[in-house]
Amino acid sequence: MVYVVTDACVDVQDRSCVEECPVDCIYEGDRMMYIQPDECVDCGRCEPVCPVTSIFHEDDLPPEAARFAGINAEFFADLGSPGGARKVGRVGSDHPAAVPPGGGS
Amino acid sequence: MTAYDVDLVIVGAGPSGLYGAYYAGFRGMSVAVIDSLPEPGGQISALYPEKEIFDVAGFPAVKGQRLVDELVAQAAQANPVLLLGEGAVELRHHEDSVEVVTDAGTVVRAKAMLLTGGIGTFTPRELPVGEDYLGRGLRYFVRRLDEAAGHDVVVVGGGDSAVDWALALEPLARSVTLVHRRPAFRAHERSVATLRSSSVRVLTPYEVAGIGGEHLVDEVVVERVGATSRVGVADGAGEGEREDDRDDRLTLPAQTVVAALGFIADLGPVQKWGLELRRRHVLVDRSMRTNLPRVFAAGDISDYDGKVRLISVGFGEAAAAVNNLAPLVNPALGTAPGHSSDAA
Repeated sequence: MVYVVTDACVDVQDRSCVEECPVDCIYEGDRMMYIQPDECVDCGRCEPVCPVTSIFHEDDLPPEAARFAGINAEFFADLGSPGGARKVGRVGSDHPAAVPPGGGS
Repeated sequence: MTAYDVDLVIVGAGPSGLYGAYYAGFRGMSVAVIDSLPEPGGQISALYPEKEIFDVAGFPAVKGQRLVDELVAQAAQANPVLLLGEGAVELRHHEDSVEVVTDAGTVVRAKAMLLTGGIGTFTPRELPVGEDYLGRGLRYFVRRLDEAAGHDVVVVGGGDSAVDWALALEPLARSVTLVHRRPAFRAHERSVATLRSSSVRVLTPYEVAGIGGEHLVDEVVVERVGATSRVGVADGAGEGEREDDRDDRLTLPAQTVVAALGFIADLGPVQKWGLELRRRHVLVDRSMRTNLPRVFAAGDISDYDGKVRLISVGFGEAAAAVNNLAPLVNPALGTAPGHSSDAA
């Protein structure tokens, strides 16, 4: 039972959510943010501060964004559970299914 | 130095710890509860006091703070020694007891310990730059307002505590500047309105780029958020843009910098106690026993295969732990508790 970042975040990466997260579990990919599901404590503080409404509780994901629960989890396949995004810094890549090919800057 | 001698010491005054305290009282034990936060309630009070909770048995819906209040009332039946605002930093082992030492120097000796530390200790989120000035003008709290009297003060942050510090310091500081990296504040509307009509200089969206000073802080450099990425755009812009460009980077005189950026939870000192950990959780067996003698764990901090992190699970684990440690406290006590309804 965790929160999930969806593609509304792509190329926005406002990071208000990062400032709210009490466990520092929101990691910065290349073009969007990702929530580490093993570290998220389900407190819900990130959801309302997102300026583009990209964060949903996994039970409330709109159908067109349902795949992002898996995408957030799979993003951490190699990273694992580092226990804090600050320690990791910006991860220069994205989940291949998360962002549209091309675009960006 | 204050010292207590109890049957059970509980570290963590969240829902699991509070229920554990009640339960220890029910089993006839004396109990002390330690928490680094100044209020009981753990994550519920710190993170979502106003949120409705729907999955606590017996409550179709209950607001976070109400649940905490009820748990505190229930725990009070055990007459616990409450040590709030004190972090448990050290664990010592003796032949027939353990000793927990807090960062305030309080020593609690107990026959057993129940660790209900949840996601850990809440610590202030550090400023990304200038951390080496901590204690030399940079601070997270202002314990006594007059410590900043006559100072030029820079407060950093956008939540309630940042706005509250700025307003509280305004009457006695020489100047107060509030720096926030977004245009809008997350604080209560009323305090933001007070802020707007006060003499506090509000700089948004700005962030701290550096802190300077020989030994003590004497200046803070702030930059407008996005200013660096706008430099290219500003190239070839008309003369009228120049004034704005200069404002993109400001040097503010400051003798006190208050970083009010919220809190982050971290397992903290518990990691050094020799507990067997798995992904920042404490491994327990089916009786909630850890690998250390006389030390049990329950609630979000505990881990085993199939663990589900819910308040209701924490309650069950706390009761299981207290019953299983009862024989350590008093060999005459069995693990079986009897029924609470029989005691009336």
